[in-house]
Amino acid sequence: MPPAREPPVSEVVLTGIQKSFGANPIVKGVDLRVAQGEFLVLVGPSGCGKTTLLRLIAGLETIDAGELTIGGRRVNDLPPRERDVAMVFQSYALYPHMSVRENLAFGLALRKMPKAEIDARVAEAASLLELSGLLERKPKALSGGQRQRVAMGRAIVRRPKLFLFDEPLSNLDTALRVQMRGELARLHRKLATTMIYVTHDQVEAMTLATRVAVFNAGVLQQVGAPLALYDRPGNRFVAGFLGSPAMNFLDVRREGASLAGKGFALAVPDGLPPNEGPELLVGLRPQDLVVGSAGPLQGQVEAVERLGFDGYAYLSSPAGPVAARFDKGTNVAVGDSVRVSPVRDAVHAFTADGSRALRHPFESVAREAAS
Amino acid sequence: MKLWHSYRGAEEEALEKSAALFEQQTGEKVDLLAIPNDVLGDKLTAAIPHGVGPDVFIFNHERLRSFQHLGIVTASDGSIDKSAYFANAVDALSVDGKTYGYPLSLKCLALYFNTRLVPRPPADTTELERLLPGLSRPDENRFGLAYETGNFYFHAPFLFGFGGDLFDAGGRATFDTKGMVRSLEYVKRLQDSRFIPMETSGALVKSLFNDERAAMVVSGPWFAGEIAPSVKYGVAQLPRNSETGRPMSPFLGVEAAFVSPRSAQLPQAQALARFLSVGAASRLRAVTGRQVPANAAAYEDSAVQEDSLISSFRQAAANATPMPNTLEMARVWEPMKLALRAVLQGGVAPAEAGALADRRYRALHRERPPDASPVPYLAVGALALVAGGAYLARKPRALLPFRRRYPDVARAAVYTGPAVAGLLVLVAVPFVVGISLSLFHHEAGSYSFVGLANFADILASRGYRISEPLSFYFTLVVTVAWTLVNVVLHVGLGLFLAILLKEPLLKLRGVFRVLLIVPWAVPNYITALMWKGLFHRQFGAINGFLVLLGLEPVSWFTRFSTSFAANVATNTWLGFPFMMVVALGALQSIPQDLYEAAEVDGASKWVQFRRITLPLLRPALLPAVILGSVWTFNMFNIIYLVSGGEPGGSTDILVSEAYRWAFQRNEQYGFAAAYSVLIFFVLLGWSTVTKRVTRATDELMG
Ligand SMILES: Nc1ncnc2c1ncn2[C@@H]1O[C@H](COP(=O)(O)OP(=O)(O)O)[C@@H](O)[C@H]1O
Ligand SMILES: [Mg+2]
Repeated sequence: MPPAREPPVSEVVLTGIQKSFGANPIVKGVDLRVAQGEFLVLVGPSGCGKTTLLRLIAGLETIDAGELTIGGRRVNDLPPRERDVAMVFQSYALYPHMSVRENLAFGLALRKMPKAEIDARVAEAASLLELSGLLERKPKALSGGQRQRVAMGRAIVRRPKLFLFDEPLSNLDTALRVQMRGELARLHRKLATTMIYVTHDQVEAMTLATRVAVFNAGVLQQVGAPLALYDRPGNRFVAGFLGSPAMNFLDVRREGASLAGKGFALAVPDGLPPNEGPELLVGLRPQDLVVGSAGPLQGQVEAVERLGFDGYAYLSSPAGPVAARFDKGTNVAVGDSVRVSPVRDAVHAFTADGSRALRHPFESVAREAAS
Repeated sequence: MKLWHSYRGAEEEALEKSAALFEQQTGEKVDLLAIPNDVLGDKLTAAIPHGVGPDVFIFNHERLRSFQHLGIVTASDGSIDKSAYFANAVDALSVDGKTYGYPLSLKCLALYFNTRLVPRPPADTTELERLLPGLSRPDENRFGLAYETGNFYFHAPFLFGFGGDLFDAGGRATFDTKGMVRSLEYVKRLQDSRFIPMETSGALVKSLFNDERAAMVVSGPWFAGEIAPSVKYGVAQLPRNSETGRPMSPFLGVEAAFVSPRSAQLPQAQALARFLSVGAASRLRAVTGRQVPANAAAYEDSAVQEDSLISSFRQAAANATPMPNTLEMARVWEPMKLALRAVLQGGVAPAEAGALADRRYRALHRERPPDASPVPYLAVGALALVAGGAYLARKPRALLPFRRRYPDVARAAVYTGPAVAGLLVLVAVPFVVGISLSLFHHEAGSYSFVGLANFADILASRGYRISEPLSFYFTLVVTVAWTLVNVVLHVGLGLFLAILLKEPLLKLRGVFRVLLIVPWAVPNYITALMWKGLFHRQFGAINGFLVLLGLEPVSWFTRFSTSFAANVATNTWLGFPFMMVVALGALQSIPQDLYEAAEVDGASKWVQFRRITLPLLRPALLPAVILGSVWTFNMFNIIYLVSGGEPGGSTDILVSEAYRWAFQRNEQYGFAAAYSVLIFFVLLGWSTVTKRVTRATDELMG
């Protein structure tokens, strides 16, 4: 691999960005700072406005309100070609009438780059993406993964300030997706260019990102390092969106020293602000709930997912559906009535409407360990 | 007895009454059959030799010579009383010293004058010239005189008035004469003084006279029926030529009753034909049919005398020159039209027009090529059949018997039958007939086998230089240029509009889309006629617009470049919607994200168009371009109706040229067929080239 290059100055700052289509507000005031060299993953459910936000950054849509700067320069009114960004489209958008080589060289030739340098850059990108044998083919004659790599190559050869990816892996099969994820991560390490990557897939977000920005309904929910978001979700949406299976949410009411729900009660965990409540929302990750013969929650097994080393049981309980982990050795069958118990200090607590986190788990453990 | 004619309306009524009178007097039954004018001649020549034709038929004398040649008319010498008719009417019916048929009515030109503007018609050209300046106001589009200036039939009175002759002593047409020059100079002067309008058609003459913007009009008896009731008019014979003292003598056309030699009752048939031409029948013709009788006695009737139209035409007819019924006459029209228009449009001086007509005459009237022996051709044909058979037989035998290989052959035959029959009748038969016809020469109703002589004459450009419009190569170059320019404009304009229409911000997009497709929906000959009018020298909207801008009006059809441009403009108007629709469809199928990718890649709108839009449109546009080029190559209607080949046939394309050889130049069907075969080969070559290009494009797209 050639040595990493000095990346261009490319901090991206979004301030109060808004966008509506007709009367529909799609992006509702986004503030976000993407640091130089960062791999920021913008994740959220389908239709929440991720693509729109990305297109606003690329310049393919006009910004209604707010300010966008790239590398310190306000670019709101610049056309895409003057923003020096490269974008990989969800559909790849390869030029069907051009060979792979021409696809890669298109953007360079437009910049009047000398032929020799174009050839060098194309060769470099091709070897990086293992496209060297395919340069003379037309996109029609490529597999999905190869097309995807060409689309990335087209972005890479330009050496832009900023890469934008719009769900680039969503059209690939699982195995290919895992492989490409690895390659993307490698690519980012090598190029060290700022990247904004849009996906609805939390696994991609967790594995690729320097920082993750969780987006929903046009509003940025929370931004942070992947594990920080996983451990300390700021609200119910983030908590439920990251992690698989999704976090269990249980309505409870603070009654003295316990949190009482329908058919169960938990001890009030440390660090829960005493003035909140009494109606609260408790969140428990399935990984932190263990199926056994004892425990505060009881439920009927409705489905079982065995993953090998362990598995998940999906229960219906008086408090609602609950997913919980069981170990390989545990016997669980559909129809069984089982009890589940949370591991120590596993409780996330939110306000009743889920809009704000009140407590995160394991913090007392960490404090204890630190002291 | 059967009587065929082409009369309608009052003329038919007069004939019916006369036939009833004949039945009363003789007890012979007469069956009348009216046949449209344009097909009657062909019906007669087809039916009479087979014994299924009429006993008597009524026809104009111009085709008498050809009827006589085909043996479908009987001489009337024994039974006709020549003194009963005007002498020149009887003259018109004579062929080689014999008289055929009985003259019924006369047709010739006379002077119609608006009595409000011209109380007394001019007796000679001196008086006419005195009247004209006061009656003409060119700035108001008012003219002293109007007639179809580009038509030799209307020019003939001027020619004869100046003592010009059409035929030499040997009966051959002559054009390069003093009379011709003087007559051409005369009308050119009338036109230059703006006493007569330019590029005058029959429709224009009619509208000018009815709007009282033409004080006088030269036309025939048929014109009376077209005059608006509000216009008070009189009819007089054409004025005398003051320079020569001769009358301006128009052509005389004589309608006659002819007797078929195949009639089973020849004496009765002769009696019927004679009966129709004299006495009560001729009075009925005048009074009921309002035709101009050839029978002198008819004018003794007071009702006929009081009809000023009829008596005026009678006087005009008295001075008329019978239209020669010779084949030679049929060859005069096109060269004369060429010369006339060349002079009036200013391209050629009157003194040179005769030579021009003479050259064209000689070019058009090819000597009949020597007969060829069909044997070698039949041998080649037979050889080709044998070779084809051998090729088929040479193929290895199929493993399975035919029935096993195609078990549903009977049902397949039923399904494909109609299409196959249609192809046979509409494609295969005309194709074979056309190719065969190209090996024959047609003259005066008979064919002779001449082998490849037609092709040799065409390809060797025999009789005219390669640079003359009559040459195949000249026309081919014009045709290719015509096709090229059109296709480029159609695609360019179509693409441009398609791109505009695709623009989502354009308001009323749907409305524009419909409006722009309209030219395509209108029948193209209607469009062609409208554009022809737009390009008119004096009355066309385009020149009107130029004048409004302070520019000189353009005489569109007098120069090759402008005439060609007029054709192209018309055809572009007709052709761009198709390309627009195709391009619009293709544009909409290009994914939007390609443009976005290119935009991010740094492509300007123009680069996007060139590097994305154009290459991706190619696969859809190419077939349309190929189709369009073939349509345009053979776009007869526009050429024929808009420029009509003007000036001098230079804007004719191959198909319109083939048409003229077949139908306007002495019925040279074989020669025209040879043209068509050559057109076929040109297009065959073109389609092989395009097939290769299409294949390359398919490969391009992977
Ligand atoms: N050009 C447009 N016009 C109108 N609505 C649009 C347009 N583009 C996107 N939208 C709407 O905006 C919302 C967000 O779309 P998008 O940004 O593509 O979502 P995501 O990429 O998160 O799935 C969707 O409801 C979509 O229908
Ligand atoms: Mg999207």
